[in-house]
This record gives sequence, structure tokens and C-alpha cells, in this order.
Amino acid sequence: MLSMKSISKVFKTDLVETHALRDFNLEVKEGEFVAVTGPSGSGKTTFLNIAGLLEGFTHGDYFLDGVNISNLSDNKSAAIRNEKIGFIFQGFNLIPDLNLAENVEVPLRYRGFNAAERKRRVQHALEQVGLAARMKHLPSQLSGGQQQRVAIARALAGEPRFLLADEPTGNLDSMMARQVMELLEEINKAGTTIIMVTHDPELARRAQRNIQIVDGQVCDFTMYQGGAEKPHLVSDTESPSDGQQAQTEQVAG
Amino acid sequence: MLQIKPIISTLRHNKSGPLLLLLQIILSVAIVANASFIINERVQLMSRESGLVEDEVFDFTVYNFEEGVDYTAQNSRDMDIIRGLAGVKASTTSSMTPLSGGGWSSTFTYGQSEETAKDAPQAAIYYGDEQMVETLGVEMIAGRNFYQSEIESGHPNTANLAIVSQAFATVTWGDEPAVGQTIYAGGYGEQALKVIGVVKTLQGAWVNSSHLDNAIILNVELGLTSFNRFLVRAEPGLMTELKPQIIAALHKENKNRVIDGFTMITEHRKRVYRDHELMATVLSMMVILLLLITSLGLAGMVMFNIERRTKQIGTRRALGAKKRDIVSFFLVENYIICLTGGVIGALVAVQLGRQLMSVYSLPQLELIYPIATVVGLVVLTTVAVILPARKAAKISPAIATRSV
Repeated sequence: MLSMKSISKVFKTDLVETHALRDFNLEVKEGEFVAVTGPSGSGKTTFLNIAGLLEGFTHGDYFLDGVNISNLSDNKSAAIRNEKIGFIFQGFNLIPDLNLAENVEVPLRYRGFNAAERKRRVQHALEQVGLAARMKHLPSQLSGGQQQRVAIARALAGEPRFLLADEPTGNLDSMMARQVMELLEEINKAGTTIIMVTHDPELARRAQRNIQIVDGQVCDFTMYQGGAEKPHLVSDTESPSDGQQAQTEQVAG
Repeated sequence: MLQIKPIISTLRHNKSGPLLLLLQIILSVAIVANASFIINERVQLMSRESGLVEDEVFDFTVYNFEEGVDYTAQNSRDMDIIRGLAGVKASTTSSMTPLSGGGWSSTFTYGQSEETAKDAPQAAIYYGDEQMVETLGVEMIAGRNFYQSEIESGHPNTANLAIVSQAFATVTWGDEPAVGQTIYAGGYGEQALKVIGVVKTLQGAWVNSSHLDNAIILNVELGLTSFNRFLVRAEPGLMTELKPQIIAALHKENKNRVIDGFTMITEHRKRVYRDHELMATVLSMMVILLLLITSLGLAGMVMFNIERRTKQIGTRRALGAKKRDIVSFFLVENYIICLTGGVIGALVAVQLGRQLMSVYSLPQLELIYPIATVVGLVVLTTVAVILPARKAAKISPAIATRSV
């Protein structure tokens, strides 16, 4: 589904070179729910941007759904973002001047769907998040949790292969956060691959797999949802135990 | 894709800026359409053909102050002197100078009998000799010129032959040939003037007159007063040299007079059209200024919106908008404002035109002007919006994931 091999991202200024990602390797299979954690400045957002084709990378190979997206044109990248990826942002990123239906409709218009198809998909997506009755409301008339559900509906409306969620509960209280997380779990159960960046270890623990990024590199450990085993951090100097071998991926170097 | 509906939603929720811009566009269209109409009308007035070779003809006046002079005889001697100068192609005495703003004019009577006689329209009257046609450089299109032997001297009422402008002929006799017709100076039967020729174009002296193209040349070398006017056609480039030569030659013949007022026809034209030119220039400046202000308003609004919507643009790009979608978004948004303002402005322009027509007796505004103004505004909108919009399209989609 998603394969990153030796990805590096370097930000250069006249004075300094910053390595946001270094020799970053990651494989995500179809249907997985992966949580990405890490301290501030570790490279989580850079990873998310590269995974979502929001920005390019300096070196390495990135395959998404079998397609090498290393040297795609801007238009092709936009088309892939629109068709294959659904984005959920920490700040919801709804357009304040558009009502809920129009917000959900935004990516569908860029896909070129006709009005009837757009209407059907908007209705279905808003029903999925329980807000179909309020489709004429403006975002400012909703609570934070409801706004994030609208953002999820917008991400789902295009029926993407995977969702990229950037701190989807970061701006929500614990009750709202739980509701949103339950919604994401339902979506994942329905077959959509989800990669979620979060600071919240509680939420991360609910994902099938937890990836920690430290200093632009992956520290990958497997954590089963509801499992009793303590997550085991794997480094490049340490081999995984036999019992974890099947579920543990190669650590970035 | 056009996204008109969501753009209208956006405009509805952010009314103040677009409304101010809309108001500016309405006023601009109303004023620019009417100003353009007036400018074009003035330019057309100024570009009317006089029928003369304006850059070769000049006039001057002679004031005789010596008592007991036979002015008719003096004129004949002066005429011979001027025509004898090298560089003079032709010259004549004249009652007036074309495009000078002053001269002689009259109405005439014509018809088959006193009962059916009609008044011909007002026409400028040039009294001159057989060199008048060549001096002015007007084109003879029917009949013939005066013969030297046909030229009368002295009083205007000695005239008996006429060469008329085509405009005068058409308005007087329609499709009938003018040559051979008779007009009467005064009432029917008084001083008959037989038309012997027609010139294509000859304007009078008053550029604001509706009868400017009506003109008649009569076969008289005037010699009534101490004041006399001469028209001279010079070889190209020799006019400046001829002025001192003419003064010297005429003073040599008789020094008791003032020879003054050397003016080229092109100078007369410039002076007589000065008000029109000033009006056209001021209005043109106003139009340019208004269009500049409007385009700055449009560009300013777009830049403000880009600044305000940076994250929104990044989000749209993240959701799949291509660069051209972003450019198209801003273009369509501003086209909506521009066309709405343009249509309302065009209606206001027509109403304003009606008011100007009734108050200042201006011609009615032609619809092409508001339409052309709106089309021009669309072009202006494109120019004003495209650069900021292209800048907006370069906003990275990664902006969407930034927390500030």
C-alpha cells in the first residue's frame, strides 16, 4: 500500500542544513491502522506531508499503491491526493464561508464528478458521520468534535484508499476525541488504511501498529490493540525477539 | 472547473470588500462609458477632413492706412507681387480663412419660381479669384473653376458665379446635378449666382457649426476696405522663408501699411479645436485614472484574499486542487464581481447618458460604449488578478498541516 525506502528530507538555508527525515523506511499494508508518535520536531509532520504528497523529499523511493511517486508532476500529485488520499487535519481546515455540504463537496469538485454524484456522495459521507441533518449549517455553528466529523466526511467522500490524520483529536476534549477515534476505528474496520499522527499515547495504543519517529528516523514497534504485551522498541543494534518477528518491521538505520 | 456556486457562497459570507469593489466598478463603468463616448465624439470632430492641404496653406492680413488708396488696384498689384515670389504655388485674396473661427456666411434662396422658392442651408462664403481652388488645394469633382476673365473686383454684390461644396449641393439639390443650378443671394431673383463647379470638401470657419461642410466660393476679388486678407499656398517647407519675403516685397511696393497675422491652417486648426482637445485629454486622463484605480482595487482585493486564505488555499491544494484550479477560483470570483458591477454600471451609464443628453444637449450614448467598457473591464480584471492568483497557486499544500 505505502512503501518508503531510504527517504530523506533536507531543508537548506544559506546558513544551515536541517535533516528532517534520514534514511526513513516504512511499509504500511492495506487495511492497517498505524499510529505515528514522536516528540515535537522529530519529523512527524514532514513524514505526513511526504506520505500525503504535500511536499517532496530529497532522496529515496516512495511507492503508493504500487505507483512510484518520486518524480510526479504537480498536477499528477494533485490528482493522486484527490483520488487516493483523505486528509484529516488537527485544525479541521474547513472553509468557514461554505456550509457543511459545500465543504464536503470541495474535493469532489476537483475530481470532476457531476452534480448528482457529488450530492449522493456528500449525503452518504455526512450520514456516515451523523451530520446529514445539518448539511446547510456553517462550520462556525458546530462544536469542535462536529467540525472534525465534517472534516472526516470530507476525507471519506472521495472514497480514498487511505486516510492521513494529523493530530485528529488535538483540538478536542477527551469525550469528543473518543468519539472521533471510534469513528476512525469504524472506518478502518470498513477497509480503509489509516495513518494517524498523534501526541496522545492513549490514542496511539488503540491503533494496530505504533511507529515512533525520533530525530527523523523510525523506531518501529508493534502493539496489538488491547494486547497485554508491553511495546518493544527496536533499534538497529537490536534484533526483535522471535515472538515478535512476524509483526515487527525493519528498523530504520 | 468553475465552482461558481461555492464562490457565490463565499462572496455572500464576506460582503463588505466585494460590495465596495462592486460599487467602484459600477461607478467606473458608468463614468468610463460616457467619458469614452464623449472622447470619441471629440476625436471624430477633430479628425474631420477640411478638404484643404492644411500644411501648405497660410493666411495673413494687410492693413492699409494711407488715405486715398484704390484698394482694388492695390490688391491687384499685391497679388501680382505675391504670385511672383519663388515658392508660392498659388494665392488669392479671401473674405475668410477656413477653420479660423471667423468669416462670412449667409443663407441663399433657390427654386424654379418665387412661389416654390426655398431657403438653402447656411453656408460659409469665400470671395476669391481663379486661384482660390488651387490655393486651398480642394478637389474639383464636377464642373469647372473660374476663368480669370470671370473674376469681378470690389463689392460682393458683383458676384455671379459660384463653386459649391458637395455637402451644400447634396443638402440643397439632393441627387440632382448642382452644376447649372442657380441660387440667389437674398430673396428669390436677387443677385443670381450660377453654380459652375462642385468641390469634394470645403469647410467653413466655425468647427462647432452643424453647417461646417457647407461652403461656397464666389468670383469676387474683394477691395472694399483698408483691411484685406490673403491666402497663400507655398511649396512644402518654404512657408517660413516666405513670410519675410512677402513682408519685404509688399512694403517695397507701399510701405504705409501693416502686414501681419501669418498663420498656417494647421495652427488655425489647433487653436479652433483647442477646447475639444482639452476636453478629450482631461477625460482620457480621468478614464485612465479610473481604470488604474479599479485595477489596483481588484489586485488589492485579490492580494488581501490570498493573504487571508493562505491556509484555505493550502487545504484546497491538499484536497486535490491543481494550480490552475486556484487561478481559476480567483479569476471566477473576480469575474463575478466584475460582470455584476459591469452590468449594473452599464445600466447606470445609459441613464447617465440620458441625463447628459438632456442637460448638455449631447448625443445619445451608443450602447457599444458600455458594452465595450464591460469587455475592457473583463480584460482589466484578468490582468489585475492573474499575477496574484498565480502567486496563490504556488502556495504549498503542506501549509494545510501547519498549526499556524
